[in-house]
Amino acid sequence: MQREKSQKFALWRRQLGREKELWFWTLLFLVWWVFFFLIPLYGIVYAFFDYTPGRALTLDRFVGFKNFISFFQTRDAWMIIRNTLVISTLNMTVGFIAPIILALQLDELRQGLFKRATQTISYLPYFVSWVVVASIVTTLLNSDGVVNEVLMNLGLINKPIAFLTTGKYFYALITCVTIWKSLGWSTILYMSAIAGIDQSLYEAGAVDGISRWGMVRYITIPCIMPTIVLLFILNIGNFLNLGYEQNLLLGQSTTQEYWEIIDTYVYRYGIQMGRYSFSIAIGLMKSVIGLILVFVSNAIAKKYTEYSIM
Amino acid sequence: MKQASYIKRTVPGTVFDVINVVLLLVLSFIMIYPFWNQLVISLNDGIDAQRGGLYFWPRIFTFGNYSYILKTSGMLSALGWSVARVVVECGKHTALGWSVARVVVGTLTKLVATGFLAYVTTVKFFSFHKPLRRLFLITMYVSGGMIPIYLWYMKIGLTESFTVYWLPTLLSAYEMMIIASYIEGLPEAMSESARIDGANEITIFVKIIMPLCIPVFAALGVMVAVGHWNSWFDVLIYNPSGEYDTLQISLRNILIESDKIKKLMQDATAGSAAAKNAASRISTTSMRAATTMIVTIPIVCVYPFFQKYFVKGISIGAVKG
Repeated sequence: MQREKSQKFALWRRQLGREKELWFWTLLFLVWWVFFFLIPLYGIVYAFFDYTPGRALTLDRFVGFKNFISFFQTRDAWMIIRNTLVISTLNMTVGFIAPIILALQLDELRQGLFKRATQTISYLPYFVSWVVVASIVTTLLNSDGVVNEVLMNLGLINKPIAFLTTGKYFYALITCVTIWKSLGWSTILYMSAIAGIDQSLYEAGAVDGISRWGMVRYITIPCIMPTIVLLFILNIGNFLNLGYEQNLLLGQSTTQEYWEIIDTYVYRYGIQMGRYSFSIAIGLMKSVIGLILVFVSNAIAKKYTEYSIM
Repeated sequence: MKQASYIKRTVPGTVFDVINVVLLLVLSFIMIYPFWNQLVISLNDGIDAQRGGLYFWPRIFTFGNYSYILKTSGMLSALGWSVARVVVECGKHTALGWSVARVVVGTLTKLVATGFLAYVTTVKFFSFHKPLRRLFLITMYVSGGMIPIYLWYMKIGLTESFTVYWLPTLLSAYEMMIIASYIEGLPEAMSESARIDGANEITIFVKIIMPLCIPVFAALGVMVAVGHWNSWFDVLIYNPSGEYDTLQISLRNILIESDKIKKLMQDATAGSAAAKNAASRISTTSMRAATTMIVTIPIVCVYPFFQKYFVKGISIGAVKG
């Protein structure tokens, strides 16, 4: 018995000796992990306190769910939830269908320079930053920008349209710009799904005499359906993560009622105004709902397709 | 891709082909014209541009906007430097210098560190390799969020520093997964034999694994580098003083804060008569256009050659998640 134990111990020591160097590096990785993941994660407890930097978190500063409740008592709460839902829904419908159509259109082209060039050009906006996009859009859509100028020269309008500063245009504006930036890039997964379709299906279709539209309708679309469903489900997981960069950059003070979403609100209240506990609470609420969405969408994806991100 | 031979040539089919090509041409135009318009404005005389009517070609051609921007915002001094020198001498405090330094330092450190992490998680005999991978996978799904991270960085003095650009993104789960899956595809015997010969893990990683991982490092490196070049929000929240401003944030300041432009104008008019004359020919739009082009041109030059790496990256990511 005693002997067995000491043998085990010796074995364990030998293993540790062999792994000594790996443990050293692992400890370094873990230090980073604690510093840049775990401690910031612990910071979410501030949401339940009345936190002021530099003062210790004592139990008498514990306020429970007060920060969460006070968010729903603000007048902004429903405006923010509305904007988040509207912009997300637009992205998930119009923004989701557009790349599928473009991929099908590209597939109808013969292989060659034109197809490659169109694809490469359509990727360009994806590679530039949101700052560049915002700057370009501002120049184009300003009251003295090219778009207004052309519309006036064509006689369609009498005075310039204030695209950027009119609130009711903002949803359309942000959806168009977001699609413009990501359209070409989003086609990549569809294009690779289309490339993976078995050629014999088209041969069989040709033998049966189906038309070109028939091939798209009865072969291409059904074959890429799993990809479409999968990407749609994964998008649900990202429903709340609509970009805030474009909203911060393109939003004007006159259109704030339409561009303020959860992330921009957290940024403005937390970093600009220093209401830390309040904004952490809002961010936490969003993260929890987002995490639930990710798990639910992942579970659905697992059930209906062979695919899972976990 | 369907082969053309399957398709019968019909009149409606040809009509569709024509419409399809026209639509895609329109789309390409919409994708590319906004950039071209900026280029035209940036190469046109600023005051003249305010008259409008600039569509496809500058009316009064000038490089004045560029030379003005590069002079007044101290970007020019960094232009001629080699990449390595920019890193060494980033103390020159120019927006371009910080941008380049950030891209170089951020990309290199991340590839090496995350690559090594990925390697450690693939060493089968190491009893902790799976838990280590899982610990980092958690970071993909959960995070403290903007404000707790911000408060913590403030506390440990990471704000107002260059370090904040690269250290917090040093290790990342997404890149770790991609590199790890690539390493797992390599024959294990190679690192095993080196280990028997007495090589330590760092040597194995640097001498054996890294050279074999060049394709995946190239693909990820381009993605990480473009990400660093394009990021601005972390500059805005962590380094608000302006000392570590990158090009993106300078452009954002020109876009959002017209005060900044006025200051730049005043700086210029305080100089010689020639400088005054140059400044009088600049408008906000032309100045912004020139800055936009300075930020965009490196990307435009690089991305057609690197897009296949991006496509590879997104495909690996999609398969492996």
